[in-house]
Amino acid sequence: MVTLYPVKLINIITNDSMEERLVAMFKKYGVSGYTILRVGGEGSSGLQSEMTGFDSNILVKVILPPERMEPILESLERKLRKGYHLTVYIVDVQVITPGKFVKPLR
Amino acid sequence: MSSLSSLLLPAVLFFALGVIARVIKSDLRFPPDLAKVLSIYLLMAIGLHGGYALAKADMMIAMNSILWALVLGFTLPVIGYLILLATRKVSPLDAAAISAHYGSVSAGTFLTAIAYLDNIGVPHETYPLIMLAVMESPAIIVGLLLAAKARQLIAAQEANSPSGGAVTMGDDDGNGEHNHSSFGALLRDAFTNGSVVILIGSMIIGAISMPSGMAKLFPFIDDIFTGVLCLFLFEMGMVAAKRIGDFRQVGWVLALFGIVMPLIGGVIGAYVGHSILGFSVGGATLVAVLGASASYIAVPPAMRLAVPEANPSFYLTLSLGITFPFNVVVGIPLYHSLVQAMAA
Repeated sequence: MVTLYPVKLINIITNDSMEERLVAMFKKYGVSGYTILRVGGEGSSGLQSEMTGFDSNILVKVILPPERMEPILESLERKLRKGYHLTVYIVDVQVITPGKFVKPLR
Repeated sequence: MSSLSSLLLPAVLFFALGVIARVIKSDLRFPPDLAKVLSIYLLMAIGLHGGYALAKADMMIAMNSILWALVLGFTLPVIGYLILLATRKVSPLDAAAISAHYGSVSAGTFLTAIAYLDNIGVPHETYPLIMLAVMESPAIIVGLLLAAKARQLIAAQEANSPSGGAVTMGDDDGNGEHNHSSFGALLRDAFTNGSVVILIGSMIIGAISMPSGMAKLFPFIDDIFTGVLCLFLFEMGMVAAKRIGDFRQVGWVLALFGIVMPLIGGVIGAYVGHSILGFSVGGATLVAVLGASASYIAVPPAMRLAVPEANPSFYLTLSLGITFPFNVVVGIPLYHSLVQAMAA
C-alpha cells in the first residue's frame, strides 16, 4: 500500500501578461515548482479567444504543503483588491512524494 | 473614387473571408500562434525593406518624422480620453486604457495601407515606417499617466460621497515583490516590446547589410509578402468577427467612438504627414493611417498590467472588432482621398 500525503493545489486562471509577476511571487514565497498551461475561455473580463496570443489566458498550478499557502493567498488577495482579474481556487490533493514539494525554487 | 479598389484588394477580400467564415460558423481554425508567426514575418520584411531604403534617406527628415511620431503618440490618447470622459459612458480608468490604444498603432493596418498604395501605384516614402516603430510605445506612457489622473478623480469622488468605499490604491505587495511592475519597468516593457525589437532590429540590419546580401533576401521579403499579408488578414478577419459579438456589451456610444476616433486621428495624421512633414500623397496617407489605427498587440497587455481596473473586453472589442475592420475596409481609401484633396 502506497502512502498518500495530503497537500494543497492552488489553481490560478489569469491573463498571460500576469505570468512574470506570478512566477516572481511564487519564487519569493518559496514554492518548489509550478506548471503553466495556455488556455482559452470567457468570463468577467470578456472573451479570451486564445487565437492570436494577445488575448490568451494561463492556468497556473502550484502544489505545496498547507502551511506554505498563507503568504501566497494573501498576495493573491492583494492583487485581486487592486483590480487584477484572477480566478483562484484551491484543491486538496494527495501526493506520494511530499518531499518534492518542499525545496524552494531558486 | 478609389474606395472600390481597396475593397477588391486580395488582402482585404481575405479579411472579409475570415469574417464570413466566423459568421457562417465554419469550423475553419488556424493553428494557434500562426498569426504570431505571420506578424513576425511581416514586421521583419517591412523592417528590412525600410532599413534598406532609409540607409539612403535624409537624416533631417527622419529625425523630424520621429519627433512628430512622438507628438502624435502623446497627443492622440489625451484627445481620446477627453472624448470618452465627455460621453460619460465609461469609468475614467476605462477611458484611460481605451485611449492609450488609439495613440499606439496597428502594424496590420499599416501594412494593408502599403499594399493598397502599391496596388494603385502610389509611391510613398519610407519615413512613416520609422514612425510606426516609434509610435508603438509613447501611448502606453500616456495611458499610465491618464490612469493615474483617473485614479485621483475617482478618489476625489469617493471622498466626497459619505459612503466612500474602501479605496485600496497603492500598497503593492509589500516587500518589493512588485519591483518589476514599477513605472520604469513598464516603460522598459513598452520599449522592448517584441514588435518594436523586430521592427527596429530588421531596419538596422537592412540599413547596414551589404546590398549584394540584401539582393538575395528580396525574394523572401518581396515576392511572398502579399501572400503572407493575405493569410494574416484572413486570420485577423476571424479574430475581429469573434469580437464583433461583444459589440452589444460595449454599447453603441463606445462603438461609435471606435469609428470617430480613427477619423480624428486620421485627419490629424494626414495634416502632420502632408502639411508639416511635407510627404507625398502616399507618405501622408501612411501617416494618416498611423494616426487612425489602434494597437492590439503592444498596448493591451501593458494596460492589463498597469490599469487592471479597466475592463479588457472594452478595449479589445473597440480596437480589434471595430476600429481595425473600419480602417482596413473604409478608412485607408478615405484617408488617401483626404490627402489627395489636401494636396490638390
